[in-house]
Amino acid sequence: MTLHARQAASAGADGAPGRYDGYFRPGYVHRDIYTAQDVFDQEMRHIFGHSWVYVGHESEVPALNDFVTRTIGRRPVILARGKNDSLHVLINRCTHRGAVVCRQAQGNAARFTCGYHAWTFGNDGKCLGVPLSHAYGPDFDMNALSLRRAARVESYRGFVFASLNAGVMPLTDHLAHARRYLDEWIDRGDCLPVVVRAGSMRFETHANWKVIYDNAGDGYHPPFSHISMLRVFARRYGDVDMQYYSGNFDEAPLISRDLGNGHTLLDQRPSMHAQSAWERQHVMPGREKMWEALSEKYGEGPAREMLDASTGSGLNLNIFPNLLIIGNQIQLLEPLAVNRTVVHWFSTTLDGAPDEVNALRMRMQEDFPSFGEVDDTAQFEACQTGMECVPEMPWIDIRRHMNTDAGHRGEDGIWTEPISSDQHMRCYLDAWRRIMNAGAARTCDDA
Amino acid sequence: MPDGTFDMPFYRRMHALVQGWQTLDEIPADRLPNADDRAACERLLHLEARLIDGLRLQAWLALFTEDCAYWIPADVAAADPARFVSWEFNDRRRLEERVERLEGGRAFSQIPITRTTHIYSNIEMLTQGEDGMEVLCNFLIQANLLGRVSQRAGWNGFLLRRTEAGWRIVLKRVGLFDADLSQHNNSFTL
Repeated sequence: MTLHARQAASAGADGAPGRYDGYFRPGYVHRDIYTAQDVFDQEMRHIFGHSWVYVGHESEVPALNDFVTRTIGRRPVILARGKNDSLHVLINRCTHRGAVVCRQAQGNAARFTCGYHAWTFGNDGKCLGVPLSHAYGPDFDMNALSLRRAARVESYRGFVFASLNAGVMPLTDHLAHARRYLDEWIDRGDCLPVVVRAGSMRFETHANWKVIYDNAGDGYHPPFSHISMLRVFARRYGDVDMQYYSGNFDEAPLISRDLGNGHTLLDQRPSMHAQSAWERQHVMPGREKMWEALSEKYGEGPAREMLDASTGSGLNLNIFPNLLIIGNQIQLLEPLAVNRTVVHWFSTTLDGAPDEVNALRMRMQEDFPSFGEVDDTAQFEACQTGMECVPEMPWIDIRRHMNTDAGHRGEDGIWTEPISSDQHMRCYLDAWRRIMNAGAARTCDDA
Repeated sequence: MPDGTFDMPFYRRMHALVQGWQTLDEIPADRLPNADDRAACERLLHLEARLIDGLRLQAWLALFTEDCAYWIPADVAAADPARFVSWEFNDRRRLEERVERLEGGRAFSQIPITRTTHIYSNIEMLTQGEDGMEVLCNFLIQANLLGRVSQRAGWNGFLLRRTEAGWRIVLKRVGLFDADLSQHNNSFTL
């Protein structure tokens, strides 16, 4: 059964109606999944609390006892590197009175001490000390007071995922076809290791986290939402990157792909990287001087190839529910509330690349957030407001290319549609519905 | 003086300049400006703020030199901008593009436009040679977008140069005090 046929069905995969089926009808999704507090609360349990969630990159905690703090569906967690290169994901909540134990964004610590009553935990979670413990009586057992740990922690080539569900499928199964594209992204810069220690930009938006996920795979909006940026670059630099979003761009070599389990891809590489991406890239601060310096050092041809690694990757890889690879950045979605989300844009460098390439990568990674993401954010907030405030119009339209027969299955088995398709939303919302229905059936207590 | 070419020596100079500002104690007596230069540079800062608040961005651009930089770091630790991402690090060309985008009528992040009031205070100045001036000041920006009031705060580091047309801006570095934390819509002119 093709995806859009699945989407048209009103019953769950096993034929039984699910708790969350009512939020969908063919080509439409109900606003409540973006605006209702109870849906958000259950997402934090069933999606973020039960499937694989991206936590961080191994290069963020390179040394023994390094840590960063993150969240898993609002739960504060610590990602720490322990002895023997082990990675720990700890629920950052004291087992005593519930206080957040570690309140720093990052650092280096072998142990964490709660500021309230000084209960102390190792960075593997083990409880190491409770002051005046005699008062808990003779059957006091410190071993039972460890910080809760994520049930599963796995790294895929540096990308660390965690799950609170011990029975979750293996990470590589979860990644499905996204694995191939993650490999391609990781190996892009002459296979130099990607390092995530070049800072991040954090945008807080007044929008549900899925509004941002929707946009990440929306190949319909670029020429319209980003017209201000595209016009400036066209006027100054001509037919550079992203100018291929013009006319009937569904005819251009740009595609949308369903990678399974709610993961999707927008692939601009056939347009952007057809020849030299560096030549097609619009101008960044330092372009001429860096090109000159590298050409002098390495020769013009090799310099051009090195500089390709400073350009955008040409793909948007969306890994449900919270990891978005865009250009050279790793984007992480952090839901704060039903209508508040932080979007983290982690910058990346290439370990061993010439300084000039990494400096250009920095300027390149400021480019879209500054000239494009700001306009996207305006649309996120406008969507959230419109959905929240007009109860008479509850349905959101996700019909593009549902009934055009424009899709086909590639030789690699991956379903592919024109770039402006809404299949990204249909695909991940299909995964969303399956996970939420299963969660409701498992816990029997959803509203 | 930075030459605005954004090559590796430029980044090293920028990094050293900011590290100097971050560790500055009392201003050395031999770097205190004379009263005339101080007054002229203060006038430039006040004009700069007034032009932003009046949305006169072409006139604002004219205050910057050809080799200028407009920089909003994404950290508060004086990180090396060649290895660490910023919110913005514009050369003259990029700064012009920024203004062109904002004035093109289709920059949705600024429709409607964010209204601002810039307040500069705690102004300190250090001469840099005969014709250069480093200026540090605190800023408070009161903003209103779509009826929502918000503030931005931090310190600016300016590098000014005496030119035939008067003092001009070679560098404006906007150091948001919470640059490493979540930001809302900062797509107006800081």
